[in-house]
Amino acid sequence: MNLVLDFAAPLVFAALGGVLSERAGVVNIGLEGMMRFGAFGAAAGAIASGSPWIGLACGALAGAAAAALHALLSLRFRANQVVSGIALNLVALGLVTYLLQSIFGSAGVSPEAPSLPRDRFGHTALAYAALVVPVLFQLWLSRTPAGLRVRAVGEHPRAAATLGVRVLPLRAVCVVCSGLLAGIGGATLSVGILGQFDARMPAGQGFMALAAVVFGRWTPLGAAGAAFFFAAADALQRHLSLTLHAADLRLDGLFLALPYALTLLVLALGIGRTRAPAADGIPYDPEART
Amino acid sequence: MNALELTGIRKRFGAVAAVDGVSCAVAEGEVLALVGENGAGKSSLISVACGLYRPDSGSVRAFGRELPPGDPRAAIEARIGAVHQHFMLVGPLTVWENVVLGREPRRRGFIDAARARREVAEGAERCGLAVDPQARVETLGVAAQQRVEIVKQLWRGARVLILDEPTALLSPQESAALLRTVRALAEEGRAVVFVSHKLREVLDVADRIAVLRRGRLVQISRRSETDADKIAGALIEGPATAPEASARQGERGPVLLTVRELSCASDRGRPALRGLSFELQRGEILGVAGVDGNGQSELAEVLTGLRRADGTASLGNDVSFHRSPAAARRAGVAHLPEDRQRRGLCLPLSVEENLALGHHALPPYARGPLIDRAGRREKARELIEGFDVRPADPLARAAALSGGNQQKLVAARELAGGPPPRLIVAVHPTRGLDPFAARRVHQALRAARDRGAGVLLISLDLDELRALADRILVLFEGRSAGEAEPEAGDDRLGRMMLGQEPARA
Amino acid sequence: MPDLRARLFRPARDPAWGAAAALLASFAVSFVAMAASGRDPVDGFGHLLSGAFGGPGPLGETALKTSILILTGLSVAVALIVGLFNIGAEGQLIWGALAAAVVGRLEVPGVMLLALLAAALAGGAWGLIAGWLKVRRGVHEVISTILLNWIAIHLIQGWLVPGPLAATGSGAHVSVAGTEAIQRGAWLPRVWPGTRLDLGFPLALLIALGVWFLLSRTRRGFEWRAVGAGPDAALAAGIPAGRRICEGMALSGALAGIGGALLILGTEHRYPGVFRTGYGFDGIAVALVGGGSPAATAIAALVFGALRAGATRLQLVGIHPSFAELTQGLAVLLVAAPRMFQPLLARLRGRDAVPP
Repeated sequence: MNLVLDFAAPLVFAALGGVLSERAGVVNIGLEGMMRFGAFGAAAGAIASGSPWIGLACGALAGAAAAALHALLSLRFRANQVVSGIALNLVALGLVTYLLQSIFGSAGVSPEAPSLPRDRFGHTALAYAALVVPVLFQLWLSRTPAGLRVRAVGEHPRAAATLGVRVLPLRAVCVVCSGLLAGIGGATLSVGILGQFDARMPAGQGFMALAAVVFGRWTPLGAAGAAFFFAAADALQRHLSLTLHAADLRLDGLFLALPYALTLLVLALGIGRTRAPAADGIPYDPEART
Repeated sequence: MNALELTGIRKRFGAVAAVDGVSCAVAEGEVLALVGENGAGKSSLISVACGLYRPDSGSVRAFGRELPPGDPRAAIEARIGAVHQHFMLVGPLTVWENVVLGREPRRRGFIDAARARREVAEGAERCGLAVDPQARVETLGVAAQQRVEIVKQLWRGARVLILDEPTALLSPQESAALLRTVRALAEEGRAVVFVSHKLREVLDVADRIAVLRRGRLVQISRRSETDADKIAGALIEGPATAPEASARQGERGPVLLTVRELSCASDRGRPALRGLSFELQRGEILGVAGVDGNGQSELAEVLTGLRRADGTASLGNDVSFHRSPAAARRAGVAHLPEDRQRRGLCLPLSVEENLALGHHALPPYARGPLIDRAGRREKARELIEGFDVRPADPLARAAALSGGNQQKLVAARELAGGPPPRLIVAVHPTRGLDPFAARRVHQALRAARDRGAGVLLISLDLDELRALADRILVLFEGRSAGEAEPEAGDDRLGRMMLGQEPARA
Repeated sequence: MPDLRARLFRPARDPAWGAAAALLASFAVSFVAMAASGRDPVDGFGHLLSGAFGGPGPLGETALKTSILILTGLSVAVALIVGLFNIGAEGQLIWGALAAAVVGRLEVPGVMLLALLAAALAGGAWGLIAGWLKVRRGVHEVISTILLNWIAIHLIQGWLVPGPLAATGSGAHVSVAGTEAIQRGAWLPRVWPGTRLDLGFPLALLIALGVWFLLSRTRRGFEWRAVGAGPDAALAAGIPAGRRICEGMALSGALAGIGGALLILGTEHRYPGVFRTGYGFDGIAVALVGGGSPAATAIAALVFGALRAGATRLQLVGIHPSFAELTQGLAVLLVAAPRMFQPLLARLRGRDAVPP
């Protein structure tokens, strides 16, 4: 159970990235791809420099770069944001596998990368950050001028524009920062937990992060809480599966499916009708006739 | 030096010149009225003035200094404030958050919420406008939201206030209060640009009146030098049209629609209709008047099967006709919806496909489970011609049509696309339409009435109701506030719309 | 035929042009990227083409992959037509595959047809869940289909196949063998001796034709399109939008399920212990590039199928096969920004911004 905090951290950061982007009004399905770039970038950076912290920075930047592409397509070219996110995921899938092959000559895992240091409880700094950052983010969103503008831009961009808020640049910054956060989440996987990059990373965690955003009603604290819940459920499943294996029962699949089924159930039951930010997913056209 | 000066403004949208070389100015302490029909360019012009649009050519000067084009921030800095037709308020945020957005008072990096609330309350009181700083804007009524908009501009120190059709959603009494506020602001030394198409208000409040027509300024004169006839004359091309005569060609028949104690809730869960009762006869146009938000939208939705309600509504003998849209359609109910782009059309589909919508299962559109393409094409051409839909191309995408042509498309489909309807529910059918398109739609409604259908015409435009309706029913707070003849005076209708006139027995 | 000519220049045709341009551009970029990484791009593309089209064997492989992609591509496309993003084709496909593997063991006449039917039902049911959740509970289909994918993968490959449905005699610890083999009568016959090409390809084409007919020539198809194009207007016109959306998702799932069945009945002949297809996700790319027209979707399926088939040969030039995935991703990326092409095309045609 001690490890739940560490395992939750990637999900938390990615979920926070999702919240930032969507509150500003840009749908971000590409969290999975951004995490993948982040995980690989961090591993490569750490191996190249010998420092996990530089690796972390590289991962964050990689995620941000990917998000910049999403921002370009969604904001400048007003492309369909879901499609843009999916495209990003596809590119991330192929490109990272390709890079893994070209740079490290491997189709499975990268060489060992320097990992982030752990304290006496076995936690990395990122694990603690995963507890603190959501709170800071929530405060920022609800109490600062920038946070107010982000909220406005996600609900009624034109109203914000009439008051001089620059909608598109603000949205772009939010999207890039969401990539930064997702990149950090991915980096946590490779230099924080595993100590290397695995070709399957993030193995669907980017999509789980999306579910956490919705589950958490598009708020930082809610999404982080949801992320912790999912991680806990996952840990529980792992725990139970060990006992079952001992009894030679092949029920792995049931337990692996459980967190997802649970999420679906919860979404279907109460939270099915939450409201995303009103302008979420709608491309903003400054020159459109109102 | 003028407070605001526009010189040679030109703005095109694609092939359409919304503003075509307009120059005008307004001085401090003066109220300039901008008058014009829908589509004359008023909204585009003021959007340029407050920096929302970048003009293709021309300049905007505030207090002598030229403003960088297309920069709302610069316009705000130059003390220009605008209250638009569609409110620029962020629903889930509070009143004070909306007012200070973009210019938030700060304290150590955070927003100084206490100061913001205090300043908003003080500012509002100074102008005699009642607002609750803590309320979430989406919970407020239209008039309250408008007050918030005005406070928002005044708080930013606007010396030039632009009001775009401010009385569109207000009752006559609320409008009068607003006009008083406008005069008070002018007397304080502010410049006010008052955009409207309601001549009576303009003549009441303006110092100078500018008339726009098809993007050009055709007339500008002092209030003392002009009158309603001169202005109306400049507004419309060609000879001033006489008010459309409602020459009846059919007989009013037996009762078609009976509504008793109809009650339902709005989307927000509040009661929208509270025991509404009325009757509609065959061969009659019943106008429904009322300030927006008193149940009109919900009434239309109930009768067309889009909303559940308690009470009874019977079309002939049929009490369950409004159970679902399909049932309503089968019973002969046609619907010209309020939001034609969302409810009336599938924009990505072609004109031909949109014309088939609702009747697509019947001949000539279909033969059994298959589509009859030739039949559908033929019928589409017929409808396009009959209703003068432009471009006259069945394969054009509905999204490419102008607002007026889209409405003609909807009218063609609803009124002539299938078996002739018994009941027509038309909601704001000419909103945003140019006079020619509007007249076409009116013709179609009258023709349907003359054929023996019953028409429920819900509209915010009293002139439209007066021109078309045989009787006018006024809704107030979800109930009938009484009926009136079309010739009834504005003040009587206005009092009914505010529930102040006891309903005649 | 003036109508036909006018048709070709309709704005509605733009998706096809956009798709063609995106495909060409993505290939161009890949070409350059290949050169930039120090490999000979002409050689590389040569291997790609020979791997896809060079002889009956490769052609058979390409046709095989294309047939599955046609089905998953149509699956996503049909969902898009009723207005939903079906990311769950992968899950629907494996349920279909499992159903075919189970039913395919029955010793009854017409077992092939039964297996296909069962696959369609299984995939359709899985797709229906997402549709129902969206219509009745407002759950966004992107999230629900992603979750359903994971649930399907884990339930099938983590429980059912290694557990209750495992072939007897397979190892107790690692079930590499999968389920029991289907009976001989259920095998899809090979139609081109010497290749792996089976009845699946013509079947897929037939189904594509059927879907096209359904969508463009029937009343029901019209209603589906109306619901996707304008759900409020469709509702007001008396179309039961919720029901139609569910129908669309069911059909979408069924198509993916049949794709899974083709894999089992034609190639695998059992549900294998390790079944990494990726056809479901590729179907998304195919549908997006195809832009909603069944013809363009089929062409995109062909291109991506060829890519998949030819990609294994890339290793001969020292390029990892994942290059194909990259090209695919690029194509979708380029399709995702239609505005890049639209203004250009519009200007070429003298048409401009749309009045309100």
